[in-house]
Amino acid sequence: MKSIDERTAPAVSAEQVAHMLQFGDSMFPIGVFAFSCGLESAVQKGVVRDSLTLLAFTRTAIEQANRGDGIGVLRAHRAALAMDIDEIVRIDHLLFARKLSSETRTMSVRTGKRLTEMGAAVIGSPLVLAWRDRVDAGSTPGCHPVALAVNFAAQALTERDAFVVHQYGVAAAILSAALRLMRIGHVDTQRMLYALNADLDAAYRTAAMARLPDMAGFAPLMEILAAVHVKAHVRLFMN
Amino acid sequence: MGATERAGWLPAAGSSDIQVAVPSELALYSDEPPQMRSGTVGKSGYLRLGFERRGDRTILADLYSRTPYLAQRALHCDEALPDMAWLFMINTTGCVLQGDRLRLEVALGADARAHLTTQSATKIHAMDANYAMQTQLLTLEEDSYLEFLPDPIIPHRRARFAADTRIMVAPSASLLYSEIVQPGRKHHRADECFGATLLSFAIHAARPDRSTLFTEKLLMDPARHSMRQAGVMDCFDVFANVILCTPSGNADRIEARVEAEVDLDRGNAYGACRLPNGAGLVYKVLGRETSQVKARVREFWRIAREEITGRAAPVPYLWQ
Repeated sequence: MKSIDERTAPAVSAEQVAHMLQFGDSMFPIGVFAFSCGLESAVQKGVVRDSLTLLAFTRTAIEQANRGDGIGVLRAHRAALAMDIDEIVRIDHLLFARKLSSETRTMSVRTGKRLTEMGAAVIGSPLVLAWRDRVDAGSTPGCHPVALAVNFAAQALTERDAFVVHQYGVAAAILSAALRLMRIGHVDTQRMLYALNADLDAAYRTAAMARLPDMAGFAPLMEILAAVHVKAHVRLFMN
Repeated sequence: MGATERAGWLPAAGSSDIQVAVPSELALYSDEPPQMRSGTVGKSGYLRLGFERRGDRTILADLYSRTPYLAQRALHCDEALPDMAWLFMINTTGCVLQGDRLRLEVALGADARAHLTTQSATKIHAMDANYAMQTQLLTLEEDSYLEFLPDPIIPHRRARFAADTRIMVAPSASLLYSEIVQPGRKHHRADECFGATLLSFAIHAARPDRSTLFTEKLLMDPARHSMRQAGVMDCFDVFANVILCTPSGNADRIEARVEAEVDLDRGNAYGACRLPNGAGLVYKVLGRETSQVKARVREFWRIAREEITGRAAPVPYLWQ
């Protein structure tokens, strides 16, 4: 296996940077904006009530992804580079089985499906099309982290790029939902996003060394908030 | 790819020779205790329980125990379910120590009904070498029903403990499985609260054909990941994880009856979610005090038992 530096520092063309921005853009239409990742209930129940608690809540979500889905992104990317579609499918099933909360499961599968369709339409490489066929046939759930990894590998973007875009997306989804759910301004959320990204290098290095069975987490209140959200009568965001 | 990365890996029931791989988070703690070595006599507990339906009741048809595990006889003390076998799992040392390796195997034959619990809380003592590990294999055949409701775990300061639970459940069987974890002896001294070094709880559930239902690995390492952070434990101290594997019809009715709430003032939070692959429900509870959490778990137990067996759960004893 290549070292981390070899895997992360190939020659990246300007076009590739643009592709990374395109697929990492919050405007990219895969429906992330419809989900609040438990923030809606967190605000209603007073768990998140100001910028400090919002920052902590977002940090929790990123830390969960660092040692969960983020590892899946890297492993799926490596399988995609090897054109090993069966291994990609196996990783997809592993990630799906680890989504114990129905809300996060729905979000991962729904946005993953949209990302897969978008990749098939925009990139259209054999790997992306083969992956799309497996998802369409229902032989694999099509979780978002795996869809992201396949799309990035198909564009010769590195696993670190995929990891960064995934983790950035987790933070951006919550912080953009926060703008609609609580009294907080753009300057504050951008400042938080900037600060949270300071930990990305260390997070990548740790995740790159981890194996799939190492995927773990602990955020019980977040899971309970998702359960509260499913039962709530009035909702702005999907579950 | 290592053997441990295989999806749906589950040893066959009763195969005590299969070793579960040591999870990577314990790799730092492989030094041997200055006392007895890890896993030696007295530190390698084994308990094998086989329940079978015989006529109008479930009997304990298979029992093997090795110190520090001990089990005596099954009782038929449940007035609402007189056929159900109740069994108390005993740890004769009174606590879990560094170097302990515990292995529990429970098998329920078709139509068997059993309730497993403990005599008292499980204390996990402070450690300065090695770790303690518990492996549990639960196998449920068609139409069997197991309530696995042990008393809480109390991890002391600097405890290192990993539990690896493998569940194999037939589609028509139901398993109610709970773990209650206290933050430590929080009234003893301030650094006992979330003072454990590492707590790891892994659960993997599969069907008899080895198809995976779900996997969960909870990893509490307070030095690296703050327990008090919003979304984690926040202002709560006690945590319960309840897994209910049951057919979808039962899960629908139970989900409709189980409430979800987060109340910071009262110090109580709870809610249930549907597990993937039609496995059933997962119910998580947080509370400031153990009694609050136990009450919610009991309430979930009551609803689950009513919907699955049509019978009432027993009222708590005075000391519970």
